[in-house]
Amino acid sequence: MKPEMKPGSPVAPHPEAKPEQTRTAFRRRIDASVVSVAPIYAFTLLFVVGPLIYMFVLSFLRRAETWGVLREFTWANYLNILEPIYLKTFWESLKLAGFTTLFVALVGYPFGYFMARLSAAWKRRMMLLLMIPFWTSSLIRLYGWIIIFRANGTLDKILMGIGVTNAPLKLLYTYSAVVVGMIYALVPFMIFAVYSSAEKLDWQLVEAARDLGATPWQAFATVSFKLTLPGLLSGVVLTFIPSMGLFFIADILGGNKVILVGNLIQEQLMKARNWPFAAALAVVLMVLTSIMIALYRKVSGVKDLEGLV
Amino acid sequence: MKKLLGFAIVLALFVSLAGCQKTPPAPVAETGDTELNLFTWEGMFPEEVLARFESETGIKVNYSNFDYDETMLAKLEAAGGGDYDVVIADDYIIETVIAKGLAQKLDLAKIPNFSKVNPIYQGQFYDPDDEYTVPYGAGVQTIVYNPEAVQKEITGYADLWDESLKDSVGTIANYRVINGMALKVLGGSYNTEDLDVIEAAGRKLIELAPNIRVIKDDNLQDDLLSGEIDVAVMYTSQVTMAKMANPDLKVVFPREGIGFGIMANFIPSKAPHPDAAYKFIDFILDPEVSAECFEWLGYYCTNKEADELISPDYRDFLTLPEGFNEDMEMIQIVSAEAEEVHAKIWTEFKAACGQS
Repeated sequence: MKPEMKPGSPVAPHPEAKPEQTRTAFRRRIDASVVSVAPIYAFTLLFVVGPLIYMFVLSFLRRAETWGVLREFTWANYLNILEPIYLKTFWESLKLAGFTTLFVALVGYPFGYFMARLSAAWKRRMMLLLMIPFWTSSLIRLYGWIIIFRANGTLDKILMGIGVTNAPLKLLYTYSAVVVGMIYALVPFMIFAVYSSAEKLDWQLVEAARDLGATPWQAFATVSFKLTLPGLLSGVVLTFIPSMGLFFIADILGGNKVILVGNLIQEQLMKARNWPFAAALAVVLMVLTSIMIALYRKVSGVKDLEGLV
Repeated sequence: MKKLLGFAIVLALFVSLAGCQKTPPAPVAETGDTELNLFTWEGMFPEEVLARFESETGIKVNYSNFDYDETMLAKLEAAGGGDYDVVIADDYIIETVIAKGLAQKLDLAKIPNFSKVNPIYQGQFYDPDDEYTVPYGAGVQTIVYNPEAVQKEITGYADLWDESLKDSVGTIANYRVINGMALKVLGGSYNTEDLDVIEAAGRKLIELAPNIRVIKDDNLQDDLLSGEIDVAVMYTSQVTMAKMANPDLKVVFPREGIGFGIMANFIPSKAPHPDAAYKFIDFILDPEVSAECFEWLGYYCTNKEADELISPDYRDFLTLPEGFNEDMEMIQIVSAEAEEVHAKIWTEFKAACGQS
């Protein structure tokens, strides 16, 4: 692939462009904008809409006996989801996502809020510190948690060293380990979202509330919290949606014992060779998360999600 | 600032979600047979063996890997049986590969070392007349346990249900193997298509749930060695690694019968460099090369002339015990309905493990 400059590329400025625009110059401008936007549309159609349609169609097909799919219409894949165990899988996913989001909000909201009150230099430093972990693969960082949690691992050694426990705790491969891993993976998104909202907060409004007799707590509840709510809500969306799909954390830290839709889709696709069922699961998961987002918008009355748009 | 933040978040999401996928192999131009596109799991050959093949033949090896057999078949199908010259995969998927016409019949005249293959591993269901495949390693699912931590003597799968093993058993995440374990305990076959029998195995498995501490495919031996678990149902390569690290561990061939799997080489139907493929298959069948490969790989040696070349340290793990092939059974693909019940009881089992 050679990065050749295409003719009509909008990058090259028009040397004769002047304030008074002739009709041809105007036309040329439109052409330029079409040319510059068209690839994005083409890309979206090809790589986002295309696969979605493919997945939707696939979810109504019948699996072949050993490999692949048959071109026969069926509802069977959706009916299969109604098996109690698969409904339970959805419920477990929602539950874990709910837990994760709750804890992430409890940790991330104050963090982002107070980060916005730091000096400009410290803000930059904090931002850098938050970004640094992303330079390492998330899988490798998860293995770090294994070293901490495993029998006779770091945490066990510390706890036994200070005499809190006298035998290794079985911490790895538990539900709590999964929740910790999920919080760890997702808390930065909450922090970023809340921070961007809190940074724009007009502190004079808080001062005004204080001048008018509000306690610090009242001032926070009535002014700061309401003004940072869009950040919190977009943080919730940014946490909740990915936590429905982060299947490898439950695999690695949960010892595969927490059943999630993400794991189920992966297993149906990669191991059980049941692609239509995997597609049906994915469609339902997508509908479910879309409903969640719509609900957030309805409940919060927030149209644009901070940091998302 | 806001735009930048949005961008940072999206970027961070992408980065954190990436890292699970491998890149596909670059398509290689036809240049006579100076190249070989090898397609198998990661880490199937010691570096030195590949380097020696390259220097002896002048053929460059392009090693690309897959994570699951299913990924391999999907890619091979997308390439129409082309792109790759030698593929090494599991028995059951090779059956499908052959049925789909994606493998070519071997010209045995081009593989002088073919006669060195141990016949126990030949003539199996996936290639009854040995027309398409050359075995490269075999595995047996065995129980391994730490006799210091386990009071009871374990002789078969049924012992895993014992109450004394609460929260201390680890298994691999292959549902046909683990469901099959319950089928074996109930006296059935791995490959039954009787849905009631599979459902019954599912109920039996749920009784095992309180004993299960972890279910995972990768590096289960580490959990056994670190003391996280005391008993494990593992793949052969993991058993070898565990035994090498801790010789006191006990390896059990379950009395209910032995689950058995073979990995084999085949040449895709439209392999771009078939001559290089034959040279490679013959090269790794050379007994000395084979012995080196199996010592490194930790699977059962499928080359009978290599058996005696394997160093005594490893020989016990890599060569078959006496009277081995009496009650062994290979896992095969079963009907779609049976597969669906298997997938369902497996999910129910995992859910039960999480709750106890």
